[in-house]
Amino acid sequence: MSSEAKKDCNVCPEWDCQNVNDFKNVWVVGEVDENGLSEPSLQMLTPANKIATKLNTKIVGLLVGYNVKKYAKEFIEYGADEVIVLDDERLSMYSPHTYARTIAELAKKYKPAVIFISATMKGRELGPYVANTLRAGITADCTDFDVDEKTKDVLLIRPPFGAVLLAYIKTPTRRPQIGTARPNVFKLPPRDPNRNGEIIEEKVDYIQKPKARLVSRKLLPINEVPIEKAELIVSGGKGLGNIEGFKLIEELASKMNAAVAGSRKAVDMGWIPHEKQVGQTGKSVKPILYLAIGISGAAQHMFGIREAEVVVAINNDPNAPIFSQADYGIVADYKQVVPALIKEIESLKKQLQGA
Amino acid sequence: MRIVVGMKWVPGTTSVRIDPKTGTLIREGVPSIVNPHDMPAVELALQLKDTYGGEVIALTMSPPPAIRGLEYLIGMGVDRAILVSDRVYAGADTLATSYVLAKAIEKIDKEIGKVDLAIFGQETIDSSTAHIGAQTASWLDWPYIYYAHSVKLIDNNKVLVERVLENAIEDWEVELPAIISTHMKALKPRPVRLINKIRYKVEKPLITWTNNDMKLDPRCTGLKGSPTIVAKTVDVPEVPRKKVVYKPKDGEDAAKWLIKTLMEDEKASKALIKALKEGGAK
Repeated sequence: MSSEAKKDCNVCPEWDCQNVNDFKNVWVVGEVDENGLSEPSLQMLTPANKIATKLNTKIVGLLVGYNVKKYAKEFIEYGADEVIVLDDERLSMYSPHTYARTIAELAKKYKPAVIFISATMKGRELGPYVANTLRAGITADCTDFDVDEKTKDVLLIRPPFGAVLLAYIKTPTRRPQIGTARPNVFKLPPRDPNRNGEIIEEKVDYIQKPKARLVSRKLLPINEVPIEKAELIVSGGKGLGNIEGFKLIEELASKMNAAVAGSRKAVDMGWIPHEKQVGQTGKSVKPILYLAIGISGAAQHMFGIREAEVVVAINNDPNAPIFSQADYGIVADYKQVVPALIKEIESLKKQLQGA
Repeated sequence: MRIVVGMKWVPGTTSVRIDPKTGTLIREGVPSIVNPHDMPAVELALQLKDTYGGEVIALTMSPPPAIRGLEYLIGMGVDRAILVSDRVYAGADTLATSYVLAKAIEKIDKEIGKVDLAIFGQETIDSSTAHIGAQTASWLDWPYIYYAHSVKLIDNNKVLVERVLENAIEDWEVELPAIISTHMKALKPRPVRLINKIRYKVEKPLITWTNNDMKLDPRCTGLKGSPTIVAKTVDVPEVPRKKVVYKPKDGEDAAKWLIKTLMEDEKASKALIKALKEGGAK
């Protein structure tokens, strides 16, 4: 950049001067763990494809770490046009601080217009660190992305303020435009083993010594399907009244072979862990059948089941807002309905298995 | 240890109502509270002080009503509190907010004493971005660890942090100074104590820094220091639903009606049959 341009650039002196037209391509940051390239990071190729098509630009996968080059082909098969790999022994241990600075260095060199990062727990610590190191804007937990046809700015869409409104956020004068989305908000694109693309191997001289060092990591057993992937969900809320009520709907779920979830109130009451919370501050689910029991239907909760195909509500309050947002509603006390429903499910099961 | 703990004064409910005439948010009459996810952060800071000695300083960037939140934290046992407040900070996104917070931490470090640790909550209930901890760390070039459950001092300039992720429990050795964000369920906050409230009345350990004190370039703060802008907001579009409501005679009637209805629904019946057959195979 010429010194002339710098002088004219009337921004915070902590920022560099930028010409937004210098930036192109859509980056997707690949997250690698014990199980390889993580599915949530590959899911970000879905919105990347939409945006890259609208901007008429390429999708670039980014692999930063040690022994990560072997995943480059997989990245391409899922939709990256090319992959930048920085495979370096000094990065053998993940540290948010070091990784973020390294990713930011690469972004300064390649000037991507957009960076997508999956909002896994690691992504949620890495994303804002990367963004800030670049003095770039970041929008968290987006539920959709689009492009402003006139300005070609990316629109980062998320629900603020209790999920009553959707905000369209953009960063008109800064690049890259950084957005995150929670796991399973976007589908994994199909894998095409015949797809080919360029793999660019990067080297950097300087990698900051980590100031934080992982000294132990114990894997937790995960044997349940995450609720975001369940086809049938039985979900409970405040109206259940107590833990016994919640146990009853767990029994129903088990008979139906369904996943159990809950509202924020159910999590606050300690009936169910936060990973199983449905709603704006929990998970967005997309089951075929969502059975909401004792859930009143606050906007934040309903935001999490927008993509449920069939919503059933059982609530004893005829004025509960959920009835105007469900397909099938039953105005009754769940304590009467659920035990009867368990019996009906059992007899239906016998019929089906006998058939 | 000198620990800075971040606080945000937020609307007490996330069920913000919309004015049907103007289509804008009604914020009046919604009482504010200390962001609940900041409470485990405050508790962690106070426990570290209980164990290792030192001082806990609460910090917020906000209009003056947030003083009430800072008073609450002093009631819990925080030694002093700093409100950073100026019109030029208004309209800040997370980048501009974290800039002011980072500069305030530097100022504390220089004028009050060396800061060893800054602790933030997991996220706020009103915007839930979880950006501020990481961004403040980036401005200061400090290491950052998210989702902390516990922190132990292992020597004069290092802490051991335990955190819980989706699929793993990790222990990290982190050089000080550092920034840590706590997991929302990490610790149960202690109640306000009368003795602390009395101390507050007597000592008034609460100061306000305006931009006259902070001396920040206004191009780095508020709207000007914020790369992101809200281009527009739209109502969340309504999902088309059938809205069939049934008032049953009793539980059995309800259950029979629901099964019949679901079996007549093309999508629901398919999923239900599949699940019940699979259930039998197990």
